[in-house]
Parts: sequence; structure tokens; C-alpha cells
Amino acid sequence: MRSVIRSPFFRRVFIAVVVTVLVLAAAAASYISRTQAAPQQPIPFPHALMVQAGVQCTFCHTTATESPSPGMPSVEKCMGCHKMIATTQPAIIQLAAYWQNKQPIQWARIYQLPRFVQFPHDVHVNAGLNCERCHGDVGHMTVTHQVNNMNMGWCLACHEQQPNAKQLMDCVICHH
Amino acid sequence: MARSISRRSFLKAGAAVAATSVLAGCQPGLRRWVTLEPYVVAPEEQPDGIPTWYASVCRGCPAGCGIMARVMNGRAVKIEGNPEHPLNAGKLCANGQAGLQILYNPDRLDAPLLTAKRGSREFARLPWDSALSTLAAKVKDAGSAVAIVLGPTTSGHLVDLFQRLAKALGAPAPLVFDARSSWSGTAALSAANQALWGQGALSAYDLGGSDVIYSFGADFLGAGLSPTRYGIEYGRFRSQPKGARGYLVQFEPHMSITAAKADQWVPIAPGTEGLVAQAIARIIADEGLGTSDRIARAAALAGEINLASAAQAAGVDVQQLRQLAQVFAEAQRPLAIPGNGQSGAAGVTAAQALNAIAGGAGMALQGNPPAPALVRAEPAGYGQVQHLIGQMGSGAVKALLTYGTNLAYELPAQAGFLDALDKVGFVATFSPFMDEMGANSDMVLAERTYLESWGYAVVAPDFGVAAVTSQQPVVQPLNDARSAGDVLLAMAKQIPSAAGAFTWSDEVAFLREVAGGLPAGAAGGTGADAQWARFLQHGGWWPASAPASQPTPPPSASAPISVAAPQYQGDATIYPFHLHVFASPLLGISGANLPWLQGSPDPLTSMCWQTWVAINPATARKLGVQKSDVVRVTTPYGELEAPVYAYPAVRPDTIAVPLGQGHTDLGRYAQGRGASPLALLGGDAGPDGEPAWATVRCQVTPTGRSVNMATFEWTPGVEQGFFNQGYPGE
Repeated sequence: MRSVIRSPFFRRVFIAVVVTVLVLAAAAASYISRTQAAPQQPIPFPHALMVQAGVQCTFCHTTATESPSPGMPSVEKCMGCHKMIATTQPAIIQLAAYWQNKQPIQWARIYQLPRFVQFPHDVHVNAGLNCERCHGDVGHMTVTHQVNNMNMGWCLACHEQQPNAKQLMDCVICHH
Repeated sequence: MARSISRRSFLKAGAAVAATSVLAGCQPGLRRWVTLEPYVVAPEEQPDGIPTWYASVCRGCPAGCGIMARVMNGRAVKIEGNPEHPLNAGKLCANGQAGLQILYNPDRLDAPLLTAKRGSREFARLPWDSALSTLAAKVKDAGSAVAIVLGPTTSGHLVDLFQRLAKALGAPAPLVFDARSSWSGTAALSAANQALWGQGALSAYDLGGSDVIYSFGADFLGAGLSPTRYGIEYGRFRSQPKGARGYLVQFEPHMSITAAKADQWVPIAPGTEGLVAQAIARIIADEGLGTSDRIARAAALAGEINLASAAQAAGVDVQQLRQLAQVFAEAQRPLAIPGNGQSGAAGVTAAQALNAIAGGAGMALQGNPPAPALVRAEPAGYGQVQHLIGQMGSGAVKALLTYGTNLAYELPAQAGFLDALDKVGFVATFSPFMDEMGANSDMVLAERTYLESWGYAVVAPDFGVAAVTSQQPVVQPLNDARSAGDVLLAMAKQIPSAAGAFTWSDEVAFLREVAGGLPAGAAGGTGADAQWARFLQHGGWWPASAPASQPTPPPSASAPISVAAPQYQGDATIYPFHLHVFASPLLGISGANLPWLQGSPDPLTSMCWQTWVAINPATARKLGVQKSDVVRVTTPYGELEAPVYAYPAVRPDTIAVPLGQGHTDLGRYAQGRGASPLALLGGDAGPDGEPAWATVRCQVTPTGRSVNMATFEWTPGVEQGFFNQGYPGE
């Protein structure tokens, strides 16, 4: 080994390889960490403030008990309160601009299951699961981020604990 | 060269690496997030993720099938047939499914447009108030010299409003016409039924109870009068009790999808359908085939005909005609389905006469609408179109209003419509798109699509069950287009002579009044409000129980029906081939701006997105062309260039070209694509007043060019036969 490294040519090669690996590792670390971080939202919406003010989840996410999709509040919904509340805050001024220009807010989506999975919110919420169970302590989040890695194993870990585990472990219950 | 890296260069390199990776991380767009974009103002009663279904009518063709539109979050996402509707029982054809692309088409107009120079395609957008007052002023100035042309898919209430407008102005009644109504033979069929039974109504055929069906060029499973219902009927025809499958014979020069489903395809020369029908009737009379009733009726209805020359003109044997006549006469419940009369209306009457001879069972004549106030768009014969063009050309029309019909594209140039248009003072078109009619108008009024509009359709043909399909918006209007009904009502208020005839506040008030006249039906409901709600909710009105089938009255034709031999247009030495122009079942005539229809392969050739010239492979070989070679087709009236498709199922002496492409307008998907065979047709009427579009001769010349054609099939398998056997007759 020492004889190899002593040769000037191989030394340069070795250093070039090390440097390349370090560059790639740095880039990879930087890219990967960015994919795990919470996305940047167009308006810095803080769930914590809303929840502490006493707003229930279903006030904005209205169809969580009725529909597979929990629903996202329209700009009109936000303005219902924020026409009057905190109107001098920069984030609210930003929101009001969307309303005045009749522009929808392009929220960065946090939870994205693959298209071959059909997840119904209404079934789960009506079965007694509260939002925090899967979405974490949203009431204390400023920047909304994902806390659970929602892979199939994670879903099945709960499904197999249920009394009707036989049905809930059938593939077709989510993949239909 | 250094034998080792110095500390300095190592630190430089390291700094460079660090800087690069930090900068790389700082790029915006490093990761593209999926966005979640909720509404600015959420539609009412549209909970996220839960669909709402609205019943309405399909306006893809005049049949009037009921549809259900599935709406999610205020957006229409799927159209299916209405399972409760007696006409289509939940089924729907491709044209109906593609209706979503009419609603969400990127080329929709969203404001009224006015041009200073007609035909320049340079339009200025107008506010609606300004457009309405301009329109009202022009119509008022025209007095009674107003002409109105409507398409056959126009809602009954709009036909009614236009009729009332014409009457109030003292103008002629609106004309209903489009190319599809000619190719499906609507007017010719009504005329034939008038001649035979004294009722100028459409007829429908109960295929399911028939054992032998002769179709004289009627593509009833393709772009015909009621393709969805006939598809259902065809299923019943093939699933009769005790394994009976029925026997279908299709007489036409080029194999349509209906011929492909037939048990026997008889490739007769274009324009000879009527001759063959009359020959069969004559043989039944002369040779005494079938029951004595049938023989007697045949003797009364079949005019004199020379069988040998009829057979020769059609390209069949006399012996074959005798066998066909025998099968028909001896069948239990034979049916004859007439073609479109483009070779002469007498041909349609001759085919209908076979039904009269058979006894009329299995044929239902259209009755009256279930309420007297209901109006149907009844397509006119070609003679009335010619009369209108004549009026226009003589300067007798000061204002022309068109709705739902693209006549500037759908008539051959030689018919003279565009030339006559030059003499019309003011032309206004109601359309959701800038089509050729709009491009040649002074004003284009952005019309809402049918999925955003109100109305009704009297189902025709109704197959013995009178029905009215309701029409309601399934989504909020997407843009600032307005419905023609409201535009008419608003405009009429500004015209003194018409204001008195239009007392309703809006078209829904008018519709409620008309629908209020319907008797109690299957949907029930007591009181006007409940009946209206049920009318919309169930998708229309039909009787609570199927009425007893009306027996067809005995024929009342005064003279035996005689079909003349076809008069081909063009010298046979210059134009050696017959031209057969047809409508592909998917694209139809007006589907060019709908990518789903453009991209759906034609069922028999798998061609899409283009026009093709179907040539028999043996003929193609003689001409020295093969698939994808571009040829020029010339007729005495015009020419067209399109690639060849070597199609075995067409007569060797016939060239077939599908309609639908060759648009200069109508948006990005339609423009500049393919060629329209209407350029090859003449404008004169044939004998009996129908357009002579089945008897044009043509010449085919290779151009030396070829194109890449997209098809969904393995070409050698089609052209050379599975084992390179070639085709008979080569």
C-alpha cells in the first residue's frame, strides 16, 4: 500500500478520487437534507397561532369527516376572519393581496401519497383518530412539516392492531 | 509537475468544493414541490373529494341521449350515459364522452367579438352591452330581411325563441341544417315517410326483434341518426332467444363499421342503393316470394325496373339479387334501413318501401312531442339551403344570424354559400369557438357550451317512447360567455317589433313555462316546482309506462316508387373512379377541435389526427402508390391532397375519403390539419332535391411525396395478408 501511494501518479489519482467523493457527498447531503426539510410556503402560515386562538382543525379542513379529502380552505375562507383580524401583519397583507387579485394561493403540498394508494380521511377520522395521531403536533408547528414517514409499514402497524385486522390487512382496502 | 499537492492548493481545492456545494444547494427550484391550490371562492355545495352528478343532455349529435356529468370540486370530470333515460339507458358514444373537451377547450371564446372587415379574422372584443345594442340595431334595421340558420343540435327552446323572433320580425322561419344531417339522411327519411305514410316524421327500427336486416348504406352503428341507441339495439339483435343471431346485410361501396359488423357486405357502386332496393321489391312481386300480403304490397309499390341493368349499375349479379330478395321476403320480421339519400331521395323511399312490403312491424314512426309547446329542430332538405343561398346572393338578406352550424365549412365551395355571404349586410354567429362561420361573420357572440346551459331536446327518433331530455348547467360558467337564449331575450327588448313577443325575464323562466305543460311522467312530482325539479334531476321527461307499440299504418303511396339510375358527375374517361365521402364514427364531421376524438383511432383503419384516401390495394398497386404516399384527388369541382391508406374493403373502382379535417379555423387542434373532401363535391342538387354528393367521380394522381402516418396497426399484416397471400382479384 505504502509503495502505491508513494508513486506520484497514483497519489494524484488517489487525491482526485477523495476530493470527488467529498464533493459528491457534500452535494448529496445538501440535496437530501433539503428534500427532508419542510417546504417553503408562499405565505408563512403558522398553525400554532390558529390552534392557540381556538380554531378547530375542521373549521378550515371542513370535509375531514365527510370526504376522503379533508379539504383546503379557500382564500375566501381565510378572508372571512382576516378582513378584520391582524390586518396589519405582513403575512395578512400578503394574503389580502391574493384576495384582491383573485389569485389562488399555491401552497406547497406536504403530504403526498403515491397515486396507487387511496387514503380516505373520513373513514379514519370517524373511526376516532384525531388529526395529531398521523400529522403530529400541528398545534405547535409554525412551519408545517411531516413528522411521520407515511410508508405502508407504518399504516399497517396500526391496521393490524384493529379488531377487524383481517379486512384491514387486505391489499384492496387501499389499492383499488 | 508537483510530486504532491501543496497545502495551499489543497485548501484552495477544498474551498472550491465547499463553495460549489453551498451554491448548488442555494439554487431555487432545487426541488419542485407539488402545489395544493384551493379555490379563491369555493363553489357552493361542492365538498372536496365528493362528486356531484348532474343529469343533462348530450349535444354531440341530434339524437338527444341523456347524460350524467360527474362533477368534483366544481369541475366536470366525466360524462356517462343516464341509466334512467329510455333512449340510451346509460350508454354513451365517444362523441358524447368527448363533451368535456368542448367545456374545457383552450380555444373557447369569452367575449363578443366584432370585426371591421369581414373575413380578416381581426376582431375587437366588445362589452356585452355594446354587443347587444349593436346586434339589436342591425337586426332592427334589417326589418323582415333577416335569415336565421340553426344547427340540428340546437335546444328546442332556442329553436322556439328564434322562431318567435322571426315571426315577430316578419322574417322567414329559421332553417335547420348541417352536414351531419345530410350524411345521416334526416330530411330524406322524413320526406320518404311522408311519401309512403303521409307522416313527414323520422322512423326508428327495432333491430332486436328482427331476423333479417338490409341496410342500404346506413351507417347506423357509426355516424348515423342515433348511434348509441342503435348500438344497444344491435346487441339485442345479436342476442335473440334460442341463440338466434339475426342476419345483417350492408349495401355500400366502402366498408363502414356497420358493414364490418354485418354478416354480408355487398359492395355496390355508390349511388345505387335505391336501385338495389327497388330491384329487390320488384323481384318479390314478379317471382311471388313470401306471403301473399307481401307480394301484393310489392306489386303496388315497386316500379318497373330492368333487373339486368340495375344489377350491372350496382355491380352485382342478378342471381345475387334474387337470393337477397328471397331471404328478405321469406324472413319473419325483415327490416330495411334506408341510407342518406345523397344519391336521390327516391332511393330512401325505395328502401322504406321494403319495410312497407314487409308489413311495417319493427318500425316506429316518430309521434308528436309529449306537450304541444315543445319544439324540435327539424333539419331541412337541401333545396331549402339552396333557396337561402339564392336569397342571400340576390341581396335579399340584410342580416343573417347563425347558431350551432358551421355552414361556411360544412357546404362545398361550389354551393356558393361564402360568395352569397358577401351580399349579406350583417352576419352574426353564436358559437363557443371561432369556427369558419365565425371567421366569416361580422360579429361572433361567445356562446356558453352545452354543459353550462339550459334547454331541452325532444328525442328523435324516439323508438316508440316519446321522451324529452332536460339540459342544465353542470358547472358554473367558466368565462364571460353568455347563453344565446338570454342574449335573444335581451336583444329583443331593444327591437320594438319583437319586444312584445318576448315577455320572459330570462330563458329559465321560459323553459319552466314550457316544461310546465308536460303531463305526469315517470319522474312524478305534484305541482310545477316539484315537476321542474324532477325534470332536471332525472334528466328529462318520459312516460311512466312504455306505451303500447303503434302498428305501422298501411302505406298510402299513390304511385309505385321508381328510382332512376345514378347520374354520375364527371366524364368517366377523365375521372375514372367513384368518390365516396363518409363520416368516421369517432371524429364525425365536427369533432376536429376535440383531441380525444382526433386521437381515437378510426375503428377500421386505426388512423387518427389526419385525413386519408382509402384505396383498394389492387388499385393502389396499379396507380403505383402505397400507404403513406400523398395523392391528389380531383373531381370536376375541386381537389384535395391526402395520404393513401390501402384499404381492402372498398371497391377497386371507388376512392373513399373521410370528412372532418381541413379546417382553417376552429382552434389549435383543428386548424391546418388534413383536408376536407367537401372541396371535392358540387353544390347542385341531384334528382329529387337532395344534394348529389354520392355520385361524384374523381381522378387520383400520385404526387411523389409521402408522409409519416401514425396508425395503430401492423401495416404488412393488413396490406399483404397474414401469409403474404395477397387479395382476390389481383
